[in-house]
This record gives sequence, structure tokens and C-alpha cells, in this order.
Amino acid sequence: MKRLFQLSLLTLSLLQLETVSAHAVVMDNSLQIAPIHANRAEKVELTFNSQVELGLSQIFLVSKGDRHELLKATKGQQNGRIVVEIPPLAPGDYALRFKIFAADGHLTEDVIHFVVDSTEGEDQAGQEQSPNLDRL
Amino acid sequence: MEAIADFLDSLVGGVDLICYSLAIGSLFWGLFVLRPWYSHAGYTDALLEKTIALLYKGGFALALIQLFKIVLKIWLMAAILGRWPFPEFADTTQFTGGLIRMVLTLLVAGYAYLYLSKNPFSRQHWMTTGYIAVPMIISGAWLVHAAGRFDNQVPLMALTVAHQLGAAAWIGGIFQLVNIWLLRSNMRVPAELWPIMLKRFSLYGMASVAMILITGLPIALQYIDTWNGFIGTGYGNLLLVKIILLSLALGFAWLNRSAVQQFGASGDNYALNNRVPYYIEAESLVLVVLLFTAASLASQPPAIDIPNLTATWQEVLDTFAPRIPRTSSPSHEALLAGEAGRVAIVGQIPSEAATAWSDYNHNISGIFLTVMSFVAMLSYIKRLPSAFSMFDKYLPLAKYWPFGFVALGVFLFFRSDAESWPLGPIGFWDSTFNNGEVLQHRIATLLVFVLGVMELRARMSHDPNSKLPFVFPMLAAFGGLMLLTHSHIGFQAKSAFLIQVGHTLMGVFSLVLACGRWLELKLDRPGKDIAGFVSVAALFQIGLILMFYREPLY
Repeated sequence: MKRLFQLSLLTLSLLQLETVSAHAVVMDNSLQIAPIHANRAEKVELTFNSQVELGLSQIFLVSKGDRHELLKATKGQQNGRIVVEIPPLAPGDYALRFKIFAADGHLTEDVIHFVVDSTEGEDQAGQEQSPNLDRL
Repeated sequence: MEAIADFLDSLVGGVDLICYSLAIGSLFWGLFVLRPWYSHAGYTDALLEKTIALLYKGGFALALIQLFKIVLKIWLMAAILGRWPFPEFADTTQFTGGLIRMVLTLLVAGYAYLYLSKNPFSRQHWMTTGYIAVPMIISGAWLVHAAGRFDNQVPLMALTVAHQLGAAAWIGGIFQLVNIWLLRSNMRVPAELWPIMLKRFSLYGMASVAMILITGLPIALQYIDTWNGFIGTGYGNLLLVKIILLSLALGFAWLNRSAVQQFGASGDNYALNNRVPYYIEAESLVLVVLLFTAASLASQPPAIDIPNLTATWQEVLDTFAPRIPRTSSPSHEALLAGEAGRVAIVGQIPSEAATAWSDYNHNISGIFLTVMSFVAMLSYIKRLPSAFSMFDKYLPLAKYWPFGFVALGVFLFFRSDAESWPLGPIGFWDSTFNNGEVLQHRIATLLVFVLGVMELRARMSHDPNSKLPFVFPMLAAFGGLMLLTHSHIGFQAKSAFLIQVGHTLMGVFSLVLACGRWLELKLDRPGKDIAGFVSVAALFQIGLILMFYREPLY
């Protein structure tokens, strides 16, 4: 019986599952105040709540049909900020999908949706950000 | 492979904490409770040998786990990036901090193995082991979440390390008590040692819990800034679970302390020898699950960082509101038709069929469990009220209630993951090992099925020495552990939380079910009957939660 108890405790210890959501999250992003204009290269700044290992992280642009394009990202001027370079985009629905390796060793996967509006020179997408910009 | 690496990566977090508790808890036990340099007739060679063995074995295991964590991170990074993660990974705190901690842990374990084990009664050797452990304990600060934060980084790192020390002292002490009880049962230590150690641990345990609370409170206040954050986020929810589990463990601790006091007052050692050991076994179970919950909590974003993704208390309460269970399922074709839109990243279309499919699965499972727990209650009585006496002849059949688990396992096998084999187009192996959620469902399904088969056999067996009855509480505890750490990938954070909150509450009830059944098998009356009733009542509660479950539309 004692062996069964010990064995059971050991089994219990070795079998564990954990949620995939992680410690690092995007707290803010520049899309909320500066929307992407059509056919123009832009930069998006993401603000994380934790230090990020940028060399081990990936940020993708996802377009219609869930086509993925790896984007270039650099560290921002302040802690936890990352600047992502967005290529010129045609009007439509897009998403930023990122896999971020935080300094605490956890991997974060998240998605930020945004809309590129056809209206030239107006911050149309920014005005519509509430319904159009959300996270998975 | 990414799913397996991610799964294993999360798995080692709990094992790491258990090994840490074994190593550091055993060291503290030796330094503050046992104090072997003060000679005592009960301090046999076997006792010291086992005590120190737990210390160095825990230490070696911790070093191995630390190395395993680094290897897993490399594997995970390689799988995600599609390339070798070096040289970037070599510059991370996780790599350098992990290696340093591994080496320092090896030093502690190595010294205990080579020197302390040969001089177990030497105060100097115990103190030296303690001094060597200090840098190892401090090195852990760079591997906790606070190390990655921008605000109050150093105080949070220090508090987290102190919090872990308090937990290790308590849980390691409980492991040592189990060790002493086993030695006493094998007559390798005198019987008189048992009450002495229990009494010493009583004060030491209270100090450990005080340290856990004193360090845990400021951490919680730093990471959770509103009541909604406490009630309406995954972080707050798991913290609440930790508090519930801590209360459960403290309940057992109180029973132990009462028995020690009773012995001190009257000299009656009946409870000390016939109840306390089993309370400690149940307490160990609770504390192991608590450690895994703590590891899981560490992977959640703090509530203070996600104010826009926090559920209100009304939304949380609504997930438990009684409602008519869904007893009709959408067709498999309707479900699959909505899957492409549901899983799309751009242009996602929520699937009503997917939500209804999931509601049906949960609600029917709830009906299964509610009926089973009702029949289980009937199995405890010998006669029905007079109005129902015509059914008395069927009462003996009530002992077969665990068959419901077998039927539930078959139901879940077909219904859990509609897009996967046997109903869906994705093959068994492909779905199981490339999707963490499907993997969890497969394990849960197998668990439920095995649970039913084992418990049926146990209740049909006439062997009084059969070990089979103990499989049920252990598998129930494992089921609870799975529920406490259940993941739903692909949801919005708030939706994921609203699903998580029901699962974690069921996890707590599963642990209550496990502990209740364990104590029912071990204790004498009236504790046996109380524990048995609590156990079945917990199963009934799980059934109710599932029966009223509603999934958010996604």
C-alpha cells in the first residue's frame, strides 16, 4: 500500500498539463492611434508587459487566406517595446501574429487584427479600431 | 513536435517545484526540526540515512530537471523558429541562469551525498550544506517571472524566492513526515519518535505557512489590482484555486495538530497512529497539486496587465447559472462546415455549431456524472424510504455505478474532438501529437475509461487486501490536476478564462473527490463515512457544473 501511495504520488508528479497562454502580453500597440495607410510602408510599435528575447521571436503579417509573411522587428526605444516594419499593403483585413519568447522563458502566441482602409490620407482605420481591432 | 515540446516544457515546471521542495525542504527539516547533532534515542542510522537521501536525491533530480528545461527550450525554439536557436539563446537569462542554477544545485546535492551522508550527526556538515545552498536558492530569482518585469523587479524577485522557500519548507517537511511514518511502520525508528516529530513540525509548519502568506500577499497585490482582476482573469482564478488548496491543506494540518494536542493532554495516541498518517497522505496529495497549480499560475499574464480582457463578476457567475442542458447535438457535417471559418485568422467566422457541439458534450457528461453520483449515494444505504421500498431489490446493483465512467469514456472518445479521428478527417496520431488540446482530451478520455474499469473491478473484488480501490482516488486526483491546468487554445483571452473558470472549479472538486475517497478507504468510523459522503457530494457538484456548462461563441 505504501508503495502504491509513493508510486501514485510520483505518477501524479510526472503527469501535468499547463495552459499555453503565457506571462508576456501585448499591453498596447500603435495601431490604436496610428492606423496603417494603404500602399505605404509603415511601422507598428508593440508594447509588452515583460522583457522580450527578440532574436528568438517571430512576427508574421497574416493576410486573406491566412497567408503568412515574416516581418522584420527591432527593439524600440523603451523597455518592452518592439517596432515591426509593415510592407505596403492593399486595402483589406490583416492580422499580426506573433510568437514571442519572453525573458521569463515562456512562449506567448497572440494575434492582433487590423484593417487597412482604402481612404487615402485619412485615419479611417484608426477611427474604426474598436470594432476592427481585436485579439485572438 | 512543437506541441509535445510545449507540453513537456510546461510539465517540468511542477516537477521542478517538487524536487526543489524535496531538496531544500529536507535541508530545512534537518537544520530546524530534526537537529541531529542533539543526540536522541530515536535518531537511528536509518532515519538519518533516509532524511539525507531525500535531500540529495531531490537535489540531483532538480539539477537534472534544470538541464532538461534548457534542452526543452532549445527543442521548442528550434521547432518554432525552424532553425538552430543559437547563438541568440546562449545570451538569454534562461540559458545562463539555468546553467548556473544547475551547477549550484549539483554542488549542494554532491556535498550532501559525499560528505553529509557520511557525517549525518555533524552540525558543521549540516551548516555547510546550508551555506552552499544559499547561492543556489538566490540563483533561482533570475528564473522567476519577476525577472522579466519592468516595475519593482528586485523586490518581486526576492519575494518570489522567499515564497518558494516557505512552500519548500512546508511541503518538504510533509514529505519527511511521510518518510518517518514509513520508517516507523517498518520499525526502523522507535514509535515514540512519531509524536515528537509531529509536535516539532506543528510549530515549524505554522512558521512556514506564515512565510508563504507574508510573501505571497504583496506579490498578489502587485499582480492583481482590482477585485475584478481577482475574479475575472486566469491569473486571479488560479490564485483563488491556490488559496482554496492551501485552506484544504491547512484543514488537514489542523486535524493533525488537534491529534497532537489530544495526545499531549491525555496521552491517548489512537488518533496519532490511526488517523494522522492518512491525513498527512491526503495533505501530500493536495500540496503536490498545489505545486503544479503554482507552476501553471506562473504562465498566466498578471491581471494588472490585461484590464481590457478581464471578465466581470456577473459574467463569471453566469457561467455557473442553472439552465436547461442541451440534449440535441448539431450534425457532424454542420460542425465541420463551420470549422474553416472558425479557425481562420483573417476573416474568422464564429461557429454556432462548434459551440453547440461543445455544450452538448459537456452537458451530457454532466448528466452522466449527476446520475452516477446519485446512484453512488444509493449504494451507501441499505433500504429506501417506504414509498420506494419496491425498488429495494435493485439496491445491490447500485454498487456498479462506476460503469457510468466506462460509458462516459466511450462517449468522450467519439465526441471530444470532432475534427479528429474517429469522426473527423484528421488522423489519430496527427491530431494527438500536433495539438496540445487534443492530446489533453485523449488523456482525459483514457483516464475516465480506466477509472471506470478499475473501480468496477475494485468493487466486484472480494479480496480484502486488494490495492485496486486506491487506483480510483489517485486517478481522480490526476483528473483534477488536468482540469486545473486545462488549456483552450485559440480563444480570446476572456473567452478562454470563462471556460477555464468552470474547469478549475471542477478540478478542485475532483481533488476533494480523490481525498475523500482515499480517506474513506483508510479511516475508521465516523471519519470514514464523512469522507465518503464528501467524496460523492464532490462528484455530484462536478456533474452539476458540467450539466449547466455554456461555451462562449467563438
